[in-house]
Amino acid sequence: MDDGLLLRRMIAGDEWSFTLLYRRRHPAIYRFALHMSGNVAVAEDVTQEVFMTLIRDVKKFDPARGTLSSFLFGIARNHLRRRWEQDRHSVALPDDADELETLLAACAGAGKGTPSNGNGRAHAPFLVRRDEFTSLETVARVRQAIATLPENYREAVVLCELEEMSYEEAASALDCPVGTVRSRLHRARALLAEKLHDEQPLRRASAVGE
Amino acid sequence: MKEEAKLMDCTQFKEIYQELDRPGTSGYRFRERALSHAEACPRCGALLTEGEALDFALRNLADSSARWEASPRIEANLLRELQQAKLAGSRQRVRKQFAILGAAAAVLLALGIGVHQRITSGVRTNSLEAANGIGSPTTGTATGAVAGGSTTPGESNSAAGASANQADDNEYAEDFVPVPYADDPAASEGGAIVRVTLPRSALASFGVPITESEGTDRVSADLIVSQDGTPQAIRLVSQENANSDF
Repeated sequence: MDDGLLLRRMIAGDEWSFTLLYRRRHPAIYRFALHMSGNVAVAEDVTQEVFMTLIRDVKKFDPARGTLSSFLFGIARNHLRRRWEQDRHSVALPDDADELETLLAACAGAGKGTPSNGNGRAHAPFLVRRDEFTSLETVARVRQAIATLPENYREAVVLCELEEMSYEEAASALDCPVGTVRSRLHRARALLAEKLHDEQPLRRASAVGE
Repeated sequence: MKEEAKLMDCTQFKEIYQELDRPGTSGYRFRERALSHAEACPRCGALLTEGEALDFALRNLADSSARWEASPRIEANLLRELQQAKLAGSRQRVRKQFAILGAAAAVLLALGIGVHQRITSGVRTNSLEAANGIGSPTTGTATGAVAGGSTTPGESNSAAGASANQADDNEYAEDFVPVPYADDPAASEGGAIVRVTLPRSALASFGVPITESEGTDRVSADLIVSQDGTPQAIRLVSQENANSDF
């Protein structure tokens, strides 16, 4: 059952269709909000607001302009920006870092050491010591490095790298040209590499050496 | 291999090395060439390694956060909101239907009033036409009443053949008397009865006899006026308890 059908049924008042749609789409919105804000409460509020907006203003969604997913990310982005305008310091991670670490630790078990390699992504012949990056500590470092990126770059990384969106999908969600997404992502990755390298080199030598 | 590597320089490599694994991009298209270049160029090789390490770290983070979900409380709140929106929608529909029904009722009422007024004015026209017919000079006696006129028994003993008509609760009128220069009876058809107040002396011009001492008073009279505005008949109207002066 595609999003369009669920949406039509939802408009007709079918609660079950809405529930299905919510359960299908909310995790990505929640993750996006959490990566962007670093605050669980904000992420939950934003997720709720996104779907409240869908309930109240569903007619604003125009399938000709993009997918429902892009539409929802767009709303989430607007809500996050509004929040930041109200409370600028909510972007800062440190206050909620412990909460996030707990969350990450809880999730670490399942994904440990086996990062998804679906999506046809093959590794280059250069070997990297994966165990260096599977640790919770490394994951937290990467997350914190992402959190310190400028907002536009952070959005690009979260959508294209963490949510594995294509440039086109991200461009639709961010309401900007594909080329902009691409250049932001390149710049964001360069900054991330720099930040991680500054904190602790990524041990290229040993990686290459093996 | 070295020949292929020469096909890509370091600048080109830096342009695309971050998207070698992203389908649909130029990096994905020239992936093999980029890898060959990285093998041949230590600096670009180091960049590629760093990029791959970053990819790996990002995928780890993505996997770690893959199961993050909002609390069930949010879903419950949203379902409540959906139910309320549904309820509000149905209330709005009912309100709309009531508004439409109200508007329809108002239109019907207005139509009813319009029809009623038209019927009433039709009755008045008929009365007027009847008055015109009665006031015709050919009959010699004008007996039509202006509106709802009826003979009052107490007043009818004043003159034979002349009946006093009650034009109002408080006023009495004599029968219409054709004016001396009245046209033929057909001329008064379609005319109107007009209430006028005029000096008693002016009554002489309508052929009503007056005494000189009465000349300064003002009296009320009804005129039957033909369509061209010419008076055809006249009657004096007196208030209750006041007798006709002529």
